[in-house]
Amino acid sequence: MQHTFLQISNTSIFIAFILLLIALVPLALSIRSKHEERNSKIAVGIVIVAFILELVYFAFRWAATGHAPVSNLFEFIAMFSIMLIAGYLITYVYYKTKVFGLFAIPISLILLGYGSIFSTDVAPLIPALQSNWLFIHVTTVTLSYGILSMSAVAGFIYLLKIIPADEKSLRARMLEFLMWNIVVVFAFIISISVMRGIGYQNDFLYVDQTGNNAIAEYHLPSLINYNDAQAVNHLGDNQYEAADHFNLGISLPPIIKAHSLNTVVWSIILGTVLYGILRLGFRRRLYTVVKPLAKSADLNLMDDIGYRSVIIGYPLFALGGLFFAAIWAQEAWSRFWGWDPKETWAFITFMFYTIFLHLRLNIGYEGEKSAWLAVIGFLIILFNMIAINLIVAGLHSYA
Amino acid sequence: MELKEIKCPHCGHVNPPGTQLCQSCGLMINEDYDKNKIKDVMRYDGSAVRSKVKSQSIFDKIWIFFTSIRNGVIIIALIAIAASIGTILPQQYFIPIGVDPETYYSDNYGTFGLIYYKFGFHNLYSSWWFVLLNAMLALSIIAASVDRGVPLYKSLKNQRAKKHPSFFKRQRITLNSETADSEDVNKIIDGLKSKRYKLTEEGPHLLFEKGRLSRWGPYINHTGLIIILIGSMLRFFPGMYIDEILYVPEGETVEVPTTDNKYYIKNEKFILDTYEKDSGSVFDKSLAMQGDLASNYQTNITFYENLSSDVVGSEPDLKEIDTDEIRVNHPFKFENYDIYQSSFDNSSMKSMTFKLVDKNDKQVGEEFTVDLKDPESTYEIDEQTNIELRAYAPDFQEIGERGELISQSPVARNPAFVFQVNNDSLTTPEISLLQIQNTDEITPNNEYKVKFVSMENQIATVLTLKKDLTMHLIAVGFIIFLIGVFIGSYINHRRIWINKENGLSLAAHTNKNYYGLKKELNSVLNENGFDFVNDKDEAEHDDRMKG
Repeated sequence: MQHTFLQISNTSIFIAFILLLIALVPLALSIRSKHEERNSKIAVGIVIVAFILELVYFAFRWAATGHAPVSNLFEFIAMFSIMLIAGYLITYVYYKTKVFGLFAIPISLILLGYGSIFSTDVAPLIPALQSNWLFIHVTTVTLSYGILSMSAVAGFIYLLKIIPADEKSLRARMLEFLMWNIVVVFAFIISISVMRGIGYQNDFLYVDQTGNNAIAEYHLPSLINYNDAQAVNHLGDNQYEAADHFNLGISLPPIIKAHSLNTVVWSIILGTVLYGILRLGFRRRLYTVVKPLAKSADLNLMDDIGYRSVIIGYPLFALGGLFFAAIWAQEAWSRFWGWDPKETWAFITFMFYTIFLHLRLNIGYEGEKSAWLAVIGFLIILFNMIAINLIVAGLHSYA
Repeated sequence: MELKEIKCPHCGHVNPPGTQLCQSCGLMINEDYDKNKIKDVMRYDGSAVRSKVKSQSIFDKIWIFFTSIRNGVIIIALIAIAASIGTILPQQYFIPIGVDPETYYSDNYGTFGLIYYKFGFHNLYSSWWFVLLNAMLALSIIAASVDRGVPLYKSLKNQRAKKHPSFFKRQRITLNSETADSEDVNKIIDGLKSKRYKLTEEGPHLLFEKGRLSRWGPYINHTGLIIILIGSMLRFFPGMYIDEILYVPEGETVEVPTTDNKYYIKNEKFILDTYEKDSGSVFDKSLAMQGDLASNYQTNITFYENLSSDVVGSEPDLKEIDTDEIRVNHPFKFENYDIYQSSFDNSSMKSMTFKLVDKNDKQVGEEFTVDLKDPESTYEIDEQTNIELRAYAPDFQEIGERGELISQSPVARNPAFVFQVNNDSLTTPEISLLQIQNTDEITPNNEYKVKFVSMENQIATVLTLKKDLTMHLIAVGFIIFLIGVFIGSYINHRRIWINKENGLSLAAHTNKNYYGLKKELNSVLNENGFDFVNDKDEAEHDDRMKG
């Protein structure tokens, strides 16, 4: 029975992914074509079906494992990706913004693609995670992330519209830098999927921070590795033999996850190459290529969405990311606050949005300034969710 | 500059220094007021904000520094940046216990690690400057709240319904209709009352107001934050915070520290469960990829009260008061304490079993077991033979000058024994030293040999004893903070002024969400046959879009 549930769950999220991809077509058409209304209805219809399938994924994976599927990196990122769609649908209900989906849905898809790079296998819970707070804490945090992301989407559209295509200024360069980042993320997901697809895997034996032997799987050639790492081949059943793999030779202590950092370095290299190719192909800055999509956006509305998503997402984040988190930390780790890297970055995220609100409400940062802040807020969320988990090994290293 | 009271040129009311809008009629009386600092003069209409009054004393300067929102934001940003620096390398409490931090940081992270350590970033969150930044934040919150809260209170309390025509013109939302008769106006009044507005009347001047609580949202949430900051300082007061480790070998009873010998805890059994592999469950695939995965850490305990705790030096007189299973996420609670499952230790030994063999490797008598915690002095193995334990070290380090065994610690990790074999057939007793994997004869050419047979491990549970009286205060502070944020964000303070001297003159203000205010007003106006309200910002916005 459990196996069937798991299959249903896996199939659902796969179909949801495809549907979201398909929904982009009528959504793009709805911006300029004559059948505006009809196309946008079709698009939103597809997104709703995809969202329901994502809920099916969630429910059945829960039924299969007996615990809320938010217990490892894949499940957590998938949850964030689902909450982005939820955030989009909520925004759509209130504001009927079509252009919004063209940005929110791809972000959700990229995240889901990114999440599936990690092991998608279901795993039983370690004792620290066996708590009802797992579900409560993670769903409130991801929901608040989803809503806060809408603020960034609104900000990004705002910036695309307000910054002229031919402007030579710092803000234009910053926006282009953002585009470069997006290309890097794309390059990362594509390269790692391809390399895994063709079965490229180099294993290295190293000593981890607790002094135990561990195996690092490299799916991209090793530029950066652990101190005294040895190339090995897996013979199955925990048996390894010495081997000869490519290794450039930069080595780091095991507190830094060198194999993740290696992937990050590769992504930056490949992303920059891809960016260069695109620049040469279009012969203009990349943000000017997507700029037409934001043409019909209403700046005041984007500003309003940007602000409202923050005043909804901020208290929700404080509740889930700090308050519930603290209650659970007290129960599981005997201290409600311990300055663990993940906790610290939740605190920084909270402080950042506190600054956002003060600047906006008291110093009058509206419009473009507010839009920049919203985009930066999203980058901080991504940093906490991805970089901290990948690179720093702390208490929260499971997700 | 001398601070002067300002007499309103319109109505003659005398206002305190620093007032922008006349407390009585709402005329702008202080034009040179710095408009960049407060965007919305309506925020404290009719009241003076202390920090906005140009003034000179040192106290005022410090006060002004901390009341500034800009400076508050800078302090918040500094705290956030400092916090992020603390995550670059692990804090000292994450590095192995007992290691010299300077060596650890420089060995593992090179020069950067050494600099990090020298700057004190390895204990960043308890460093004096991080605490100072937080204290400055607290000061900033208090100063800014008092500075703005007092005039806000006055301005909300002293509201007059009668306002100068220029006040009407300055509002974003307005409506003028000279043709409206008193019947129409009454309908609008009823319409607004049905929207739960509170009405104040002064002759032909009307003030409708609702959601005033919204204005107090920021003050409520800042109060919550101050409570949290006070709560986190309370930890340093004795008795508020206790954090101890309890190391309890299986089967043993220990005193619970800091309870004045009143409570004892016994570790009945420590349980470590792991997930079963290849059980046909959905987890098989992921379990096969790794070593044993723990599913449960549990200590079964019996909890005792010592009835003779108030008699100094007496033997404990234990009375069982509770039993529990302490697991991760399920601490045991008593009084204000919690006891948590933290970890376990199976590196020490409980007992060792030996046998005696003769030259032909034939066993003599029965096996004997030495309890490593409480060894006996002789073990009788048959009628003619006994074995005397001459010396014992639970954690053997070396042999002392006088031939005694020196132990590193009282924990049985590396036991060593000096056995003396007494047998009727021997002329002199035979003595030998036994260590793990090593036997040395002390008397030469021994007939008999003591041999190791087996050992039993001692498993000990490691529990954390916690008492934190600050926790509840911090939780209350956080809840107040959240309530404040909700009130400030989701309630709107809406005010509508009506002058019905000449037809209808209407102005409206809200602290947020003009869209909602317009919608509400328009529905009332529309029902009664009036036009929609004018929105200055929207007109400007339309102009911008056209341009």
